[in-house]
Amino acid sequence: MATVAASPTYTSSAGTPRSVLMDWLSTTDHKKIGVLYLHTSLFFFVFGGLEAILMRWQLMKPNNTVLTAEQFNQLFTMHGTTMVFLAIMPLSAAFFNYLIPLQIGARDVAFPRLNAFSYWVYLLGGIFITMPIFFWLAPDGGWFGYAPLSGRSYSPGPNMDFWVLGLQILGISSLAAGFNFVTTVINLRAPGMNMMRMPMFTWMSFVTQFLIILAFPVITIALVFLQFDRFFGTTFYAMSAGADPLLWQHLFWIFGHPEVYILVLPAFGLVSEVLPTNSKKPLFGYPVMAYSGILIGFLGFGVWAHHMFSVGLGPIADTVFSLTTMLIAIPTGVKIFNWIFTMWGGSIRFTTAMKFAIGLIAMFTIGGISGISHASPPSDLQQTDTYYIVAHFHYVLFGGAIMGIFAGIYHYFPKMYGRLMNERMGSWHFWLTLIAMNLTFFPMHFAGMLGMPRRIYTYDAGQGWELFNMLSTIGSFLLAPATLLFLYNFFTSKKRGEQCGPNPWDAPTLEWSIPSPPPEYNFAKIPMVSSRYPLWDLTHPERTSEIPHTQTGWTEAEMQTGEYDMTPMHVETETRTAKELGIPMPSSTIKPLFVALGIVLMFSGLLFMPKGMHVPAFVLMGGGAAMWIGFLYAWLTTPLEEHH
Amino acid sequence: MSTAHEAHGHHYTTTGLDNRKIAIWAFIGSECMLFASLISTYLIYKGKSVVGPYPHQAWTDPSTGRVFAPILNIPITSASTFVLLMSSLAMVLALSAVENKGKPMPPGSGWWDKALTSSKLWLWITCLLGAGFLGFQAYEFTSFVHEGLTIRTNLFGSSFFTLTGFHGAHVTAGVIWLGTLLAIDHKRGLMPSDTLAVDLAALYWHFVDVVWIAIFTLLYLIPD
Amino acid sequence: MALATVLILFALAACSGSYPNSTFQPTTDFNRDLTSLWDKMMFWGTIVFVIVEAILIYAIIKYRRRPGTPEPRHVHGNTLMEITWTLAPALILVFIAVPTVRTIFKTQAEAPASALQIEVIGHQWWWEFRYPEYGMTTANELYLPIGRTVNFALRSADVLHSFWIPALGGKRDLITNRTNYLWFTPDSTGEAAFNGSCNEFCGLSHANMKFRVFTVSPADFESWATHQKGNAVYPAASAASAASVQPVSNAASAQTAIAATTQPPAPAAAAVSPGFVFPREKVPPHVMPTTPIPPTVRIADAVIAAGDAERGLATYSRSACIGCHKIRGNPSSLGIIGPDLTHIGSRFTIGSGLFPNDAKHLAHWIKNARAMKPGSLMQTLGKGEHDPIMNSTVTMGGLTDPQIADIVAYLQTLK
Ligand code: HEA
Ligand code: HEA
Ligand code: CUA
Ligand SMILES: [Cu+2]
Repeated sequence: MATVAASPTYTSSAGTPRSVLMDWLSTTDHKKIGVLYLHTSLFFFVFGGLEAILMRWQLMKPNNTVLTAEQFNQLFTMHGTTMVFLAIMPLSAAFFNYLIPLQIGARDVAFPRLNAFSYWVYLLGGIFITMPIFFWLAPDGGWFGYAPLSGRSYSPGPNMDFWVLGLQILGISSLAAGFNFVTTVINLRAPGMNMMRMPMFTWMSFVTQFLIILAFPVITIALVFLQFDRFFGTTFYAMSAGADPLLWQHLFWIFGHPEVYILVLPAFGLVSEVLPTNSKKPLFGYPVMAYSGILIGFLGFGVWAHHMFSVGLGPIADTVFSLTTMLIAIPTGVKIFNWIFTMWGGSIRFTTAMKFAIGLIAMFTIGGISGISHASPPSDLQQTDTYYIVAHFHYVLFGGAIMGIFAGIYHYFPKMYGRLMNERMGSWHFWLTLIAMNLTFFPMHFAGMLGMPRRIYTYDAGQGWELFNMLSTIGSFLLAPATLLFLYNFFTSKKRGEQCGPNPWDAPTLEWSIPSPPPEYNFAKIPMVSSRYPLWDLTHPERTSEIPHTQTGWTEAEMQTGEYDMTPMHVETETRTAKELGIPMPSSTIKPLFVALGIVLMFSGLLFMPKGMHVPAFVLMGGGAAMWIGFLYAWLTTPLEEHH
Repeated sequence: MSTAHEAHGHHYTTTGLDNRKIAIWAFIGSECMLFASLISTYLIYKGKSVVGPYPHQAWTDPSTGRVFAPILNIPITSASTFVLLMSSLAMVLALSAVENKGKPMPPGSGWWDKALTSSKLWLWITCLLGAGFLGFQAYEFTSFVHEGLTIRTNLFGSSFFTLTGFHGAHVTAGVIWLGTLLAIDHKRGLMPSDTLAVDLAALYWHFVDVVWIAIFTLLYLIPD
Repeated sequence: MALATVLILFALAACSGSYPNSTFQPTTDFNRDLTSLWDKMMFWGTIVFVIVEAILIYAIIKYRRRPGTPEPRHVHGNTLMEITWTLAPALILVFIAVPTVRTIFKTQAEAPASALQIEVIGHQWWWEFRYPEYGMTTANELYLPIGRTVNFALRSADVLHSFWIPALGGKRDLITNRTNYLWFTPDSTGEAAFNGSCNEFCGLSHANMKFRVFTVSPADFESWATHQKGNAVYPAASAASAASVQPVSNAASAQTAIAATTQPPAPAAAAVSPGFVFPREKVPPHVMPTTPIPPTVRIADAVIAAGDAERGLATYSRSACIGCHKIRGNPSSLGIIGPDLTHIGSRFTIGSGLFPNDAKHLAHWIKNARAMKPGSLMQTLGKGEHDPIMNSTVTMGGLTDPQIADIVAYLQTLK
């Protein structure tokens, strides 16, 4: 392992602080953008967690007065919004960015500048929607902002304006990224990397991108209606005009349910990478894993009304949506069992990543089962909008998405930084998190079934909820140190972590065949992929020999075809820079940042409209529009790569 | 070893297609959901407005006694629909003109054969027809407002103006896009090597056109 | 763990005394259906849970890497097994789906025509209850006759709310511009009191939108309902005349009310029964709110004690109160924005189940409702009090503490 001795030359980011800053602001390298996503979304995760901790503090005992009603309502709205749109989705995006090109053997994503744009929109949009909480002006209508409460007549303040506009902005980011990665996966796979050889993370991310580009337009329209109602006096949700409150609910949940799979499928993908590697076994039933992912995504569009069982859709609709919802248990179950049988008969190494992966299987199952228990409309009538639901979705979100993402971070950290994270601290982090999350969320099942509604800033004594709330609060207070420990481990390991080679885990997929951290161009020579587990073909042929339909040798002739030099699968030791190798890389540019900034400024202008402050409104909207159009023009008229 | 790149800019792709071609299809798929949401909202709210004016029948304001004629004007919109359809045809001809630039013409071909080979001509026609459609829409909107229907009037007004407005915005974007192609064509002439650029615009243009067919049928032709 | 869940939950269900809002109470036909469905769900859920976690734990223990563990055998899949764990869950789901669908159609069928109709209207943040059968309206406290099916027609005056009495059955949303229905038969509750709550987030005081439910014998219900239908009985003397008048004959009642201001209460009062009210001694503790009074609102007990109903009636009838509240029998009090106060004296709670209905809390409430309940539509009335919504101090037309005490005294007589 040549690179163990010292990290490769190209990683030494020489330069003044200023040039380093410019380097980040103008980067188009999918790996750097991935790193930006990772750090930003970790920050928002902590922020959303702090909001949660404040809520738990207020709910610790009956009739508590730590928070006012205003503050609490803003906190749970922003906690949900932050965790869903600013923490988990971008945490997944960090992995899309960093891993997909590496896993399919590409040198970057299809549209590197669009990729940078997505990140900057996310960052600025995140700031936009988070700022008001510092002035207690944050959105306060709940994370699904039901009409008519979210309308101007019942929420006159600027709070929900921030929410509507903020989500519009964040939607732009997700959609742009969606188109980018769909194209990347379809079009930039290395020769021989056919669909049935794609690593499972890429597969699940691919499905996720389709969910994004098909679900986000729907909430965009729902938000456009709300925005027009709030700013231009349209009547979409105006009850006096005979509007139907269910319009919002349908539109929101047609987006909202696919969204929850958008949150969890990438985590499923990460776990599907960690389990085989640490069990020394190929993924059990790879094709079924891929198909079940597709099926989950597909069914996900046909179940939205299970969030509306109490609105009185009538027996027929309730029946239909109940059955479609239950169906999803089947492909999901297939995944659970295939994961378990990936480990079965293997030789399991309990890295921290592996612990979190196993944790996901155990915890997500609990959330899934409670999910099934409210897939039955009549019994959901006793559950909906109670803490039982809160318990359900934290088991699937924290026990599913977050656990999977932690697994991914521990697993891929060495690839990103060429160093290992501290395993002892990791182990502590895992066990603390596992215990604390169950202590936090399991009692919520009881609180809910014993009559405690959700979204209440206070509750009276003697209702039989004291014990469970106290336990939940204690649990959440334990999650804080656990998370702090993780952060400490993460940041110290970057510098002091033990150096590692390209493939510390003896993993089978392409990304592990190149140095850690990878050079800007990823692959000096694009490998020709002839298997699902190319690296194991080299190092442990016996592991993959029995896998059908993946072995095709390459003839010399085939080797010569194609645009750039392709070579058989190999472990890359090249350490020269792109320039030295004459590999053209997308030139860095700051234009996407300014396009993003212009768009956000344009939206912020609207904030001044309701107050009748037309001058700042039009200055911001006009200026913002001019800005993004101008920079977009400049962007489109400059080529991606300078020709040398 | 890297000679390949300098030779021709575009990289190896799995499908052999250009990335942009795949991206535009993904984009169009996404757009379908966008317009599906808008159109279904219009249909859900059809006949739910508590006050007029209404799309297809007259309405008398009980308070003022003022009579409002049915809003939608089928003949005029049929005309604008025809205009948009024709623009799609022109777009097809523009694309083929770019593809076949520089091909020698068969002997005895007349001015119209020449005309068919002029990408400028057909791009201009597409643009103008598109602009014409927008003109119709501008007229339609203003006359509706005069007849007493604004985006705030009732559910019909809100959903109608928002839906057709979104479509109009798409047409506008398309006209601008085609405009840039025209500019290039006038500056240096579009060559067969530019086919993809024109093809992308064409795909988008046809999509916007198809969406209008749906809107025209569902909003205008089907009475309530 | 889930097994424990079931067991514990059933335990809880059993001793629902300590868990007054438990959903596992066989109080109504409706709730029995839901609970039996839940039992099936928990049964299968537990089986799934145990199987999954058992295999998982077995696997990670048995196949952990030890020194000298051989290279594993490299199965890439097994069609038969994969078919098994596709079909097994499918089968389980059938066992869940069939009773589910049955219950859906059973519980969402038309309510029997004989059912007692009750209109529930949600307001930010309180409940209006109408008994059309009795031409009567009350607020935040429901009386239900044991054994008779009740059919709730659910509507909203503003945003979405959700009507839930955990102990009696599932919830239904109150949806603007729509009417929803929910019906059940409280056949095995006995004379009992329950808490209800709003479960759809409806803004600032969503948490404070609670209500109380009393299931009583049909006879007691009749007595209560007929009395509630009658006009305000003030002073108790005129009870005879007032209580007996048929549907709101304002003429008669108006006279009594006005007369009342001039005549001292007649001793005859004691004789008249004020109609059935749920016996105070039987009210379980969880029904009586313990919400603390915010320290910013203060009014001396001595002042409250000195309140006089006579003056109270006069002050009330000139105060801002009458703009929002109706007291049938008081010709000047015709407001409809706020809860109907005709028989406020017979209720156990005020502020939508937020505070117990006693002189002390009522006085604080009238003095500064918005400090007592965030966002309350009822404006701050006490002179010199700070109105958190207007963010201003009440001066002109504000009520002094003695005036408030008088009004309290008056309202408390309205049994
Ligand atoms: C990661 C996100 C995520 C995931 C994956 C899921 C997964 C599921 N969810 Fe969940 N859900 C949420 C996030 C998620 N949910 C959120 C955020 C909300 C609340 C929104 C809000 O109101 O704020 C919600 C709310 C919600 C509701 C509405 C509740 C209400 O408001 O009344 C329902 C109702 O049906 C539901 C059902 C399900 C089901 C059936 C699944 C299934 O996909 C689960 C399938 C998995 C299993 C079943 C376990 C593994 C399977 C086996 C081991 C096989 C054998 C199993 C059986 C035979 C049962 N969810
Ligand atoms: C992936 C999504 C996600 C995640 C990870 C979480 C994580 C947590 N959630 Fe959240 N939650 C939601 C998504 C999520 N939640 C959603 C969608 C809602 C619905 C909102 C709505 O109703 O509109 C919700 C609602 C919700 C409620 C219900 C609010 C209500 O209905 O009134 C509660 C209550 O306890 C809660 C608690 C928690 C807790 C304790 C955590 C913990 O796991 C948090 C753990 C993380 C941390 C603790 C961060 C670490 C902190 C530090 C490192 C700083 C340490 C320093 C100090 C403590 C000083 N959440
Ligand atoms: Cu009413 Cu919540
Ligand atoms: Cu869902």
